[in-house]
Amino acid sequence: MKLPRLFGKKRGHRRTGSEAWGSFAEGLFYSALVAAGLLFGGTVLTGAAGIGWPTLEGEDPSGGWNWWLAILLLLIPGALLAFGGSGLARILQGWGKSQERRAAASGSVGLRDAMGHAADEAPGHPGVPTCDDLVNSPGTILRYRLPIESPESWTLLGLGLFAALWNAVVLVLALGAGADLLRGQTDWLLLALLAGFVAIGIGGVVLFVRMLVLTTAVGPTQVEISDHPLVPGGSYDMLIGQGGTGSLRALELYLELEEFATFRQGTDTRTDRAVVGREIVKIWTDVPIAAGGRFETHVTLSIPSSAMHSFASEHNAVKWRVVVIGRPERWPAFIRVFPLVVFPADANGSPDAAIEQDAFAAGGPG
Amino acid sequence: MRTPQASPPGDSQANGLTASPRVMVHFDRAGRDYSARQQLVIHYDIDGLGGESVRAVERSVVWYTEGKGEEDLGVHWFERIDRSEDLPNVCPRGGFEIRLPMSPLSYEGVIVKVRWCVRVRIFFIDTRDFVSEHVFDLGGILPARAPLERLS
Repeated sequence: MKLPRLFGKKRGHRRTGSEAWGSFAEGLFYSALVAAGLLFGGTVLTGAAGIGWPTLEGEDPSGGWNWWLAILLLLIPGALLAFGGSGLARILQGWGKSQERRAAASGSVGLRDAMGHAADEAPGHPGVPTCDDLVNSPGTILRYRLPIESPESWTLLGLGLFAALWNAVVLVLALGAGADLLRGQTDWLLLALLAGFVAIGIGGVVLFVRMLVLTTAVGPTQVEISDHPLVPGGSYDMLIGQGGTGSLRALELYLELEEFATFRQGTDTRTDRAVVGREIVKIWTDVPIAAGGRFETHVTLSIPSSAMHSFASEHNAVKWRVVVIGRPERWPAFIRVFPLVVFPADANGSPDAAIEQDAFAAGGPG
Repeated sequence: MRTPQASPPGDSQANGLTASPRVMVHFDRAGRDYSARQQLVIHYDIDGLGGESVRAVERSVVWYTEGKGEEDLGVHWFERIDRSEDLPNVCPRGGFEIRLPMSPLSYEGVIVKVRWCVRVRIFFIDTRDFVSEHVFDLGGILPARAPLERLS
């Protein structure tokens, strides 16, 4: 019998450590945890560590230990045994089994669970995300109102949180400095520190207010669509509504396809993104928005017939989205993103058949 | 239609075998191009076993991701044959027929790629296992273009 190799071959010319040796080392680690748990637990239970268990009559031979403390102390070996034991069981379960066999048995990435599909997977469409979150808001004119996924909102929230927390710290420092001054003491170091903190605090508030004004001044963007999920080769009626005051130099509407890849780099987990497809749906120039009103128009959105469908697995994804860019006359441009889910078209090229099949699998039309 | 195509170099892993197994997989469609929900008919021949005793054979149809991200794997169909009376039916010659799923379709992206393949894995009694992988295309999706700059 031959020992496993230290290095294996990945796809292409890359090499990787041996899976068997990796599992062996992992097994040693978990075995050490189990051994430590047994040793520690045994020491506590037998009283070898000088910890006496209370008798039924309530006597406490350790002179201080009671039931609660002893049970609390057993939590540590208990956790070691549970963690080490589960790790060992997982390794033993997968030992000597092929990658496909383990994946088929565990129902992991891309596999169907007991209900026939993963929790976030569309029924009957392995590897395709569900669009449940995108069809739970009815539109005012068209069937669905698409939720917004605006990076500006997160920036605004982040700036607001920073300004609030920073100025809270400034307030605490100012109270300390004020109390010193009232007592007739002057701590110049504290005052100098405070001046710098106040400057940063004011800067944070100014940035937050500016961003808030920019976000609210341009008004909300609303996108509604006639159907969802979409399929390659399908055409859909789309309603674009842009509120606010003043006029826009341009309002641009794009359809984008973006890839996401999550990978480990040392101890970090990183996600890389790449826009791999873009189509200009429509560009409007000199868009007037009446005070209290909004710019509203219909467009037709077409998904290319040989395009990739939406795809999501544990570390990789392909996502579709509608991007709206507004270029106001007096304000900086804004970007608003509306995610879409594209299902694969039916093998016979009939988009409707795929939707009907999914609606049937889901128990009825959405 | 049978299209005899040997495994491309690098698709097979002979883990230190004294014998040099070679799995030739024949797809029923020219160019190995399939549509979603289509029937996939596979025949294969294994040669070069060199007298090694086979303990088990695993046959599977899987998809996996390639690219910048960690590899994800999905098993559409899997079968393990380890009963000695069944092994002559699958080794050194065998075949199977399955219906392909609706998704995910094969995709040649920039940082994400989805590939479908047939895997034949042979377990020997005295030596390490051997796996042979044969990629096919599901769905006829066009490759992605080069990455574009972000909108601003």
